[in-house]
Amino acid sequence: MNAKVLVVDDDTALAEMIGIVLRSEGFEPSFCADGSGAVAAFHNARPDLVLLDLMLPGMDGIEVCSRIREESGIPIIMLTAKSDTTDVVKGLESGADDYIVKPFNPKELVARIRTRLRPVSTEGAGVLAIGDLTLDVAGHEVRRGSELINLTPLEFELLLALALKPAQVFTREMLLEQVWGYHYKADTRLVNVHVQRLRAKVENDPDNPRIVMTVRGVGYRAGSAS
Amino acid sequence: MRFLDWRDWLRTLGRLWRSSLQLRTVAITVILSSLTVGIIGGYMSYSVGSNLFESRRQSVLDSSSRATLAAQGRFDAVEDSNAVDLDSIMALALAAANQAASTPATIAILRTPGQGGPNTPVDRTSGAFADRVSPQLRAQVASATERRSYSQSVSFTKEDGTVVPGLVVGSQLTVPGQVQYELYLVYDLSDTESNLAFIQQTLLLGGLALVVLIGAVTFIVVRLVVGPVRMAAETSERLAAGELEVRIPEKGEDVIATLARSFNGMAASLQQQITRLAALSQVQQRFVSDVSHELRTPLTTIRLAGDVLYDQRKTFPPATERTAELLHTQVERFEILLADLLEMSRYDAGAVEMEVEPTSIVRLVEDAIDAMTTLSESKGSELRLVAPGGYFEAELDSRRIRRILQNLLGNAIDHGEGKPIIVYVDSDSDAVAIAVRDYGVGMTPASVERVFDRFWRADPSRQRVTGGTGLGLAISLEDAVLHGGWLEVWSSPGEGSCFRLTLPRRRGETLASSPLELPPDDEPGQS
Repeated sequence: MNAKVLVVDDDTALAEMIGIVLRSEGFEPSFCADGSGAVAAFHNARPDLVLLDLMLPGMDGIEVCSRIREESGIPIIMLTAKSDTTDVVKGLESGADDYIVKPFNPKELVARIRTRLRPVSTEGAGVLAIGDLTLDVAGHEVRRGSELINLTPLEFELLLALALKPAQVFTREMLLEQVWGYHYKADTRLVNVHVQRLRAKVENDPDNPRIVMTVRGVGYRAGSAS
Repeated sequence: MRFLDWRDWLRTLGRLWRSSLQLRTVAITVILSSLTVGIIGGYMSYSVGSNLFESRRQSVLDSSSRATLAAQGRFDAVEDSNAVDLDSIMALALAAANQAASTPATIAILRTPGQGGPNTPVDRTSGAFADRVSPQLRAQVASATERRSYSQSVSFTKEDGTVVPGLVVGSQLTVPGQVQYELYLVYDLSDTESNLAFIQQTLLLGGLALVVLIGAVTFIVVRLVVGPVRMAAETSERLAAGELEVRIPEKGEDVIATLARSFNGMAASLQQQITRLAALSQVQQRFVSDVSHELRTPLTTIRLAGDVLYDQRKTFPPATERTAELLHTQVERFEILLADLLEMSRYDAGAVEMEVEPTSIVRLVEDAIDAMTTLSESKGSELRLVAPGGYFEAELDSRRIRRILQNLLGNAIDHGEGKPIIVYVDSDSDAVAIAVRDYGVGMTPASVERVFDRFWRADPSRQRVTGGTGLGLAISLEDAVLHGGWLEVWSSPGEGSCFRLTLPRRRGETLASSPLELPPDDEPGQS
């Protein structure tokens, strides 16, 4: 089955062009041209991934992003013309997994989409421990005791990357490569924002993290299993 | 040490003199007014003194004539000079003279020397006459032909030892028997002198008080005038520092108030102009930024379309294939230009943020050289790194420095004519420096002047491989300035060019010098 991609963009020419590119790469695109209809379109299309323009008529992309995040953890990639503003950080904080700066080329777009849609590798241990959490790798589940913690696939992947090598300190660049699939120096704000989001979900006290530990001046590592 | 203190003190005074208008005005006023008061006081004291003396002398002379008349009267009353006791007459005359003269200190009747006849009556003196009468006066009186008094100022010592000024008045007496005598009256002028001293003292005190008063008045007046001027100066300084809303308080209707009003008017109009210009420039910057952003969405579509066509170009007829290729490369160029334009507009808007971290400058340069090696080899230029060891860590935004290096290396390769390109890296305790030296065509001084201008190109006909936008060096310069650094150029036609980037090792420090020469001393392997 081909992966379904919902393209939310008010520029119909760009949406159509993205559609052409996606179809030629074997995806199944659907479209929505304004923000207010985006959530409904999301319900109808049941996509595997959302491409979301940040500047939309009706409801802005950030609002759409958090509405979708409330009900689903599916990958969201933002399209933005402004890479330097706080819009990007706001978009990431509202739950977008990744972003692409306009103008982008087809290969870049497809590579980003494929990275987000690739299945998480389930090889290795079936159940991992990180801090007081247990990760069921095959089942994509994280539990604290018996309580299930709801993570998006990206957050799960981030946590898994840390948990697989508990002794290793990960730099932001390493995580960018491993989790986001960037092979060149990319925006480290991606890592920072998602670590914040992840901590908000898994830590008992996000200000005093025990699971995703900061190593000052280097990056992050997993908290020791209790 | 004392000498130094004195010098210091003098220097401080000099500085104060130069810097304080108030001190200067008060000092000059006090000096000039004391001069005036001194002259007037001196003149007054002199004229009062001579007046006092003159009137006293006059009264002394009057009493002397009275005394002379009285004494002469006694002598004239004697009819037979031989029959009477001249000595007793003499005593009577003396008493009469003494009575007629108003309280002289000393009185004497002396026989004029050099006359024949008996020495009668004998000379009579009262009090300590001593030698208070000078020979000159005696000669003058003795040889007088008319009946009048002669005076002379003297000073004599009183019984209590104090020296007091006095006036001696002498006149002739004719004693019966046609013998000539001289009557001398010695007056004590100490009361006149003490009067004069009192007047002088009063004058001096009055003069001093006047000078102090004038000084104080000047101080207050200057304060009144200088105060507002100083306030205006302080206010304009604050204005210049960017506090556009400061004003001078306006009080009253006088010239100071007019100054304040016109100053405030000027400040208001300045503020208005600046605000208007700032708004205008903000609008313009926003416009550039918005245009750049708005262009991005259609450009994305064009880019995607172009790339789709480009990927299928092999299936097209040759002309269409070439069209797809041209579209592809030009869209790419357009994109770079747009990105540079956007970067430039960020600088113009001052909306640039730096991500500073301690970075090894040599590593950065090595990376940049590695990235450019393919390009330089295609042009036949060899990239060499010359880096004598040292303190190579510096706090900088590596993305921006990498961009500068890419730009400088790209330019060097473009204009290097296939000759080696040498990158020098050096540092000292305060700064790091990178110099990129090529031995290519070089530039004329006129070109060097304009090399950092936006959209300026050294030689428009020259083919470029790095596809520059014309904004590269302008952006590099902005990046360098953002770091508090320098980006400088040296060039000579035919000898090549050298760009030197100097950055402070710690954020916020000011550069004083660069660790590298411009151009660096030649040149291992060249020549």
